[in-house]
Amino acid sequence: MKRWSRWGDLAAGAAGLAIALGLSFLIAVALIFLLSRSPLTTIRYFFVGPFTNKYYLGNMLNSAVPLILTGLGIAVAFKSSVFNLGGEGQVYSGALVTTVICLALPAANGYLGGAAALAGAVLTGAVLAGLSGFFKMKWGTDELISSFLISAAMGFVVNYFITGPLDDPANNLLASYAIGKQYFLSWLFPPSKLNSSAAIAVLAAAAVFFLMSYTHVGYEMRMCGLNREFSRYGGINVSAYVVLPMVLSGALHGLAGGLAILGTQHMAVKEFSFGMGWNGIAVSLIAKNHPLAVIPAAIFFAWLEAGAKAAMLHSDVTFELAAIVQAVIFYLVTAQAIYIRYRRRVKA
Amino acid sequence: MKAGAVILSLVHNTVGIMTPFLLAATGGLYTELSGMLNISLEGLMLIGAFFGVVFAGLTGSLAAGLALGVLCSLLAALVFGLITLNLKANVFIAGLATNLLASGLTVVLAFQLFKNKGVVRFELGRLPSLSIPALNHVPLLADLLLGHNVLVYASWLIVLLSALVIYRTPFGLRLRGTGLNAQTIASLGLRPQGYQLAAILISGLTCGLAGAVLTLNLAAFVPNITSGRGWIALVAIYLGNKTPLGIVVASFVFGLAEAFSNYAQGAIKVPADFILAFPYAITVLAMVVYSIWRHHRARGR
Repeated sequence: MKRWSRWGDLAAGAAGLAIALGLSFLIAVALIFLLSRSPLTTIRYFFVGPFTNKYYLGNMLNSAVPLILTGLGIAVAFKSSVFNLGGEGQVYSGALVTTVICLALPAANGYLGGAAALAGAVLTGAVLAGLSGFFKMKWGTDELISSFLISAAMGFVVNYFITGPLDDPANNLLASYAIGKQYFLSWLFPPSKLNSSAAIAVLAAAAVFFLMSYTHVGYEMRMCGLNREFSRYGGINVSAYVVLPMVLSGALHGLAGGLAILGTQHMAVKEFSFGMGWNGIAVSLIAKNHPLAVIPAAIFFAWLEAGAKAAMLHSDVTFELAAIVQAVIFYLVTAQAIYIRYRRRVKA
Repeated sequence: MKAGAVILSLVHNTVGIMTPFLLAATGGLYTELSGMLNISLEGLMLIGAFFGVVFAGLTGSLAAGLALGVLCSLLAALVFGLITLNLKANVFIAGLATNLLASGLTVVLAFQLFKNKGVVRFELGRLPSLSIPALNHVPLLADLLLGHNVLVYASWLIVLLSALVIYRTPFGLRLRGTGLNAQTIASLGLRPQGYQLAAILISGLTCGLAGAVLTLNLAAFVPNITSGRGWIALVAIYLGNKTPLGIVVASFVFGLAEAFSNYAQGAIKVPADFILAFPYAITVLAMVVYSIWRHHRARGR
């Protein structure tokens, strides 16, 4: 009996999600008809473009990698009812620290130096987010707003380093010096940019899933997420579970930034990570904060962006169209009323 | 003399700069009191900023631009409100979506209309400024408070009016009741969602004005021109302890921080990026200090 209702819920959830995504597609198509002079070409590139060759396909999967990590970071926080809105700054700062460590060790062993560089990124993200968690635990400062503000301030500081002390005058980009070749992660699917950071992202998803579902700490985090007051009566040290989810969340965001440097960018380009943090929130929501569902959700999101990019290159619409479609998906995915109606119908 | 003049002009500029913060925060106060964390202030401002200046450019009239810009941000607020309240979306995520929609829509439309994703300039007259010749000779008053554009004074009126509406009308009482306990309001036979929708629409109105102030002053639109002001307005509500007077003080502080960074960019040898980070850093600091103070006060009792 119980199992049946669980499957019913799952089916209702899937049906609701399908309705929400289907509606979003319709709206996207309608928008393209409004904005494009050759709507059919645009629609083809928007939806099929990312699958037309190895290069586009690999790049699409590669741009899902940071989204998997930031989505996981958000899922950990949201599952514990803690809000990390500073993902943008944490990714960007992590990327900067990785670049700095790689540039400071130009002759180090690729594996050791690379590990150090990633550790630096993870630590940076963890500290930035952990700070907000600490303020919340100690004095009740709203972590949602403080994490956003710290991240926004860090964005400018990172900009300063990339365009100031680290700027490579030899390239015409607003970008740092390139890191040493020994640090590059190996390519998986040339000529695309898909690299071994994808494996790390999938491992991270598995690790987060294990942590949340099969460990004591994960159990207590989820309990605090469900009902903090009840957890306190149950003897859980609830104040620790404000800081820990923030630290984990920040660490995953930092890792996303570090891996983007070692795997894809090989140098810190000004504002290259813009959107990775915000989109992580959307990814986690589509995945209903489930660590394994984050992977397909991230690929779905990357598909939208890759489609918009392909449509921009081959047709007459601008890339920001993707932002509108994403906004519509946000609206509809979170609209509970759509799900509730379907849950009733499935159960009846 | 010189330091005095600098301070005078800083405060004078602050009075102008704080207007968008003050307007957005006042609208946000309604949603906050009705029990919703409204992060869409930023997006609603951006919509008002874009459509305000575009319609002013198309019609050649500042007043028409202002009215149509505010109408557009009202519409965006209505969409946000209906999705949140009728479709029962998470208010936070719907707010995030509104911000994303605003930043996407404004750039896409700028590209469609002007084939330009950068700065779009318009030929506009200056916003009329208020001058009261009789008061021009009152020493400090004339230097600090006069000579701003009419929207600055309109924002003060809106704050005053809001204080009256929130604390002195049945509507305000029920709005605050909704925030404190929606069930109680429902048990009185009233619809809490109605008050929340009204609050969202009011925030759309004031945010539209706040955005239009930015672009009509500049006679130009730049993508993401609001650059976090809606978020700062949200913080101003918290720092202002969710009261109109508190919001005025908090907006003044943020206005001063921005006026100071504008001044410092010319006067002090500090990298521009650090100066841009300054308002955010000072805001975090203010938030933490405020929560420490509140924490200790609560303990003392």
